[in-house]
Amino acid sequence: MSRPKQMTRAVIVGHKSILKETIDSLHDTNLFHVEDFVEDESGFKISKPFKNAEEVSKKLVKIRSIANYLGIESKKPVVQKSDAVLRELDSKLNELDRTISAKTESISQLENELKDMDTQKKEILPYLSIDLDFDYFRGYENIKVFAGILKSNLETSQISSITQAYELYFDPQSKAVVLFVANNDADKVYELLQSLGFKELRVPERGGVPSELLRSIEQREADVTRRVESLKGEIESLKTKYTDFILASDEVLSIESQKAELPLRIATSENAFIIDGWTPTESYDRLVSVVNNATNGKAYITSLEVREEEEEDAPVEYNNSNAVAPMQQIMDLYSRPKYFEIDPSSAIFITFPLIYGMILGDIGYALILGSIALAIKKAIKSDAVSDMMNILIYCQIWTIFFGLIYGEFLGFPLASTHEEQGLLPFWHTVTLFNSIGGEEFTFPIHRAHMVMSMIVLSVVVGLIHLNLGYLFGFSNIAREHGMKHALLEKGSWMIIELGVLIAAVGYFGGSALMYIGAVVLVLGIVMLAMGEGIAGIVELPSLMGNALSYARIIAVGLSSIYIASTVNNIAFDMIWADHSKIGFAAIAAIIVFILGHALNTVLSIIAPGLHALRLQYVEFFGKFYEGGGRKFNPFGYIRKYTEE
Amino acid sequence: MVDGATAGLFLDAAGAKAVGASIAIAFTGLASAIAEKDIGTAAIGAMAENEGLFGKGLILTVIPETIVIFGLVVALLINSA
Repeated sequence: MSRPKQMTRAVIVGHKSILKETIDSLHDTNLFHVEDFVEDESGFKISKPFKNAEEVSKKLVKIRSIANYLGIESKKPVVQKSDAVLRELDSKLNELDRTISAKTESISQLENELKDMDTQKKEILPYLSIDLDFDYFRGYENIKVFAGILKSNLETSQISSITQAYELYFDPQSKAVVLFVANNDADKVYELLQSLGFKELRVPERGGVPSELLRSIEQREADVTRRVESLKGEIESLKTKYTDFILASDEVLSIESQKAELPLRIATSENAFIIDGWTPTESYDRLVSVVNNATNGKAYITSLEVREEEEEDAPVEYNNSNAVAPMQQIMDLYSRPKYFEIDPSSAIFITFPLIYGMILGDIGYALILGSIALAIKKAIKSDAVSDMMNILIYCQIWTIFFGLIYGEFLGFPLASTHEEQGLLPFWHTVTLFNSIGGEEFTFPIHRAHMVMSMIVLSVVVGLIHLNLGYLFGFSNIAREHGMKHALLEKGSWMIIELGVLIAAVGYFGGSALMYIGAVVLVLGIVMLAMGEGIAGIVELPSLMGNALSYARIIAVGLSSIYIASTVNNIAFDMIWADHSKIGFAAIAAIIVFILGHALNTVLSIIAPGLHALRLQYVEFFGKFYEGGGRKFNPFGYIRKYTEE
Repeated sequence: MVDGATAGLFLDAAGAKAVGASIAIAFTGLASAIAEKDIGTAAIGAMAENEGLFGKGLILTVIPETIVIFGLVVALLINSA
């Protein structure tokens, strides 16, 4: 079992004149976890950031706002030289900034124009049906003009009853009205209009016939829209042209800003600096040689003797092979191990997929999920996604293994039994021995027919898993507090289990073993009480709870089988009972089959995944794991788009 | 009036076993659900504050699931007795 990487606490001391070189070399190695300096009585102060810090962060803000505006996404990297990027950075950034702000400015101008035209159009629309030049609406001394919208219809007779001197334009459809009357009659006419729900409309200030005005506005609108589109297209082409540059310069500037701001995290006096931190012990020599080379040996590096309580805070870096590494995601989801602890990644590398496979145990689903995982892994190049897919693939390997043991394919039995024909005609179920509860233990294992045996088997697997946890706990405590504590706190549990086992064998065998078992059991309980006090005794029943909890392996598995075989029954026995005819029934059966199994495939990730995960987190980790380690976060940057 | 003898007409031994098993499953399922409801709500509340609590929240939420597993085991024991 692996433990986290061993760490060495190192201190780098030097004159301020070599601070920059030291920081550059540390950043390049990406091996040194800097401990932030907290100002205290010692007289050391944190330093100021390098002079270029302000400028760098200004540019960084600018480039990120541009990237954000253009909607730049990370893509397959085109690696560029970082000094080349830096050289061109200022001119390119300015140019880009200028063009983009010019273009956005004209876009916003044009968009304002569009809004204006829209209001103009809205003003003109009511007059469209009357189509009278707007110049005719004004400039009279003795004539009053009413222009607006009515709620109800206007009859000419209603006006002619008031006056004969009028000119009326009325559109019965839109109820737009324009009425010219002599000033003398204006009041009476206004009253009439009011009674009809008259709402006055503003007459547009410009002259011209409404229909012509509308046409010209629409033309201009189309023109402006085209220009906006073309500007947006130009910005889009800027995006394709500058994506590489923006990604690369973002990276270069991030690196520069990290370096420029490190002085804020270290202790300095008037002329000297101290950088304090951690490095993996295996890389310590490399770190020393790199810093010495960069500073011509002027910096003084030394490793510090670490007190035990300090070691508790050492940052934690996983120490796993590439195959096990994806499991670190599952660890991080819970909590990173502490520096002293066993890192159980390699244990759950086996147990998590194994329990998943034991639950699902179906070759068909394993093949479907396995190929989906492979396809996603190919399509999406992201570390987090590919780790998840790797875990899913590990799970499917075990699922195929258990699928062979259970003889299941999409809920169909592969081997034939007395009652039914299997998918594979040559594979016959063999009875191995008589199991508990009147069940026959067969190969392949028909889970639905031997539930009691499978519950017992699941609990046995659970006990093995739990004891692995106790062993880890034993090793953790033995290392931290000594053998005696380990024996009392974790060993006692195993002795209790042993006692129960001996007593059970004795009980069924009817021999004196039962009393020996009872003695061992009491011994274990006494040890537990010594190790963990009364809390340990209270915890005793949880051992049974934890072990029985593994019964979910068969329980969740059965639910998956029943869904699958129900789908198969509906499709092939009910809908398409007569298998020879290809017709509507056959098509319906196939649709039910595909949809049903698609549903069950999705459930096959969620249910076994969550339950297998829970068995790790609650039952297994509960026996030994503390977690809460600090992440090893070296000062440096993993370059993607640039190189030195 | 229903006396002991006529009750047997409604429920023979197999029927009583089935009812017993179903009671074991139904009530433990309800119990798990009620317990998980409360924990799950709290866990989501905690996750809204701090995303990193997902793992712990998940664990706390699924702890009461053991209740229904016990119910299932009891139901199967009744069934095979």
